[in-house]
Amino acid sequence: MSLQTCWRCLARGSNQPHPTRWPPQQPWNLYPSLTAAFTTSSSLSALPPKKKSKSPMLETNVKGAKKTFVKKTKKRQKTDSSKRPEVGERRALRKRIVLSNTNALEVEGLKDINAQLMIDESLRGQVLGIPGPVVDQLRAVEAFKVKQGWPLFRRPAMLMRKDTLDMATEIENISLGIRDKTIRRVFVGERGSGKTTMLLQAMTMAFLKGWVVINVPEAQDLILGHTEYGPLPSTNPTLYTQRTYTASLLNAISRANPILQDLQLSQPPPRTELPIPVPPNISLSQLAHLGAQDPEIAWPIFELLYRELTLPDRPPLLLCMDGLAHAMRNTHYISNTYQPIHAHQFTLINWFLSHLSGESPLPNAGLVLAATSESNSPPVPSLTLALAQLEGNAAVQKNPFATYDARVLGVFEQGGVQVRRVGGLCKQEARGLMEYWARSGVVRQRVDEGFVGEKWSLSGGGCVGELERAVVRMRV
Amino acid sequence: MVFILGINFPEQRFVQKTLQHFYGIGPQVSRHLLARLHIHPTARLSSLNSQTVLDINAELSGMKIENELRRELRENIRRLRDMGTYRGRRHAMGMPVRGQRTRTQTVTAGKFNRTNRLG
Repeated sequence: MSLQTCWRCLARGSNQPHPTRWPPQQPWNLYPSLTAAFTTSSSLSALPPKKKSKSPMLETNVKGAKKTFVKKTKKRQKTDSSKRPEVGERRALRKRIVLSNTNALEVEGLKDINAQLMIDESLRGQVLGIPGPVVDQLRAVEAFKVKQGWPLFRRPAMLMRKDTLDMATEIENISLGIRDKTIRRVFVGERGSGKTTMLLQAMTMAFLKGWVVINVPEAQDLILGHTEYGPLPSTNPTLYTQRTYTASLLNAISRANPILQDLQLSQPPPRTELPIPVPPNISLSQLAHLGAQDPEIAWPIFELLYRELTLPDRPPLLLCMDGLAHAMRNTHYISNTYQPIHAHQFTLINWFLSHLSGESPLPNAGLVLAATSESNSPPVPSLTLALAQLEGNAAVQKNPFATYDARVLGVFEQGGVQVRRVGGLCKQEARGLMEYWARSGVVRQRVDEGFVGEKWSLSGGGCVGELERAVVRMRV
Repeated sequence: MVFILGINFPEQRFVQKTLQHFYGIGPQVSRHLLARLHIHPTARLSSLNSQTVLDINAELSGMKIENELRRELRENIRRLRDMGTYRGRRHAMGMPVRGQRTRTQTVTAGKFNRTNRLG
């Protein structure tokens, strides 16, 4: 009789599985089985079978069964038959300013701004259209920027916010002769708060009032080192002119200010000043055109034009510059001693800053406006400090480790420069703007109290750029 | 086409690059030259007026460039060789001059280190 107990494990041998029993041991195998191990992953996710690797560069030699190197045949290179863009085509596309969109709805009952309407306080929070001729003028002085939202609408229009109405009143007062002092102002504020648009609005109103507008659309263009420059003789420290830029500025001035056609040259300039003979009784527009045609005489003509514009009984002037920080540092231009040239040594920047600082006041009054930029601004600690001090911001103190530029501080030393912080819109203004957007077809939601409040908060308290981003551009 | 020091250059070429065409003018010298003549770094030949082209020619003709510089280089090597210095001998043999190994990689030395070096 055989024993029921297993000799190995002393467990009771049974056919029934026992919980304490070890699984039966597999016999040791010299050749492991070729079947795959058990897996729970599906057969579809299995790796594809490996292809037999056959290098194209290796080929068996029949004679000696040796591998020999065979040169790989060169693949035919695909020739690019696409048409190359023309010279300047891509730049033109990049710099193109679109001011009209035929897909946008035409806003019913959109009033145009005019010289009488612009000071009406009841218009606060309303959007007014910019008249066609003024749009052309603004385009000529490059007041519109590429990244602004003009292509979303049928035609350019602007919001009458509090700052706009304040400026309108000032422009009106200067035009009426109530105020005869030049207002000098720098717009600061966070990104997208509308500093550049404030300049545009000032230019719009100045054009409507028949002022002469001289605009430097980007101070960066003056310092980047991509336009021609040359020293101005008999100046110490040496001043430099930018003849091509000045010529294009003269061109913009003559195209944007039709009022110059009615103003005549008071007396012909001496031959020592201008190398070409200027006909007497020439209009100032023609004078500017002369300078625009010949960059060699652009700067003397600009000086002459400015002198003519500051004679008695001439219209007030509006001078604008955007991206002020660029005009406050060393440029990319190099002097003949291989030293970087400071921006203040360039005649155009020097001319503008002398007006901003109050060194040369405008005899017929006017506005000198500059705007800083938050998105394209080099670090200039001197400017930051000077603007903060003028604004009354005690939090910004002189950093003992920073180097300050005496020339930059000198611009604001004389005082009288107003630093205006462009803040957010109030809810009433935001609502007016959103209603205009809704009527233009770019906002589909119902513009009510809740919607306005939500978007106003989302935009950090009515920052216009952020508001546009949150309401118009964002698509969820 | 703009004529500078006896050579015609296409008008759309950068001035800075044009000057570097001449033996002895590299990026540094070219930038200094442009600064001296108040030409901005992105200027093209087409934007230069005739007076500036004349000024460039005058500046270049006062400099030791091209064949004159090559001749000086050759004379320096010849002087070393005539004196019988180690460097002179190495030049004459077409071997590395400054203590490099000669077991491998002396192709460049063979190319350049000659008594009548081309430049």
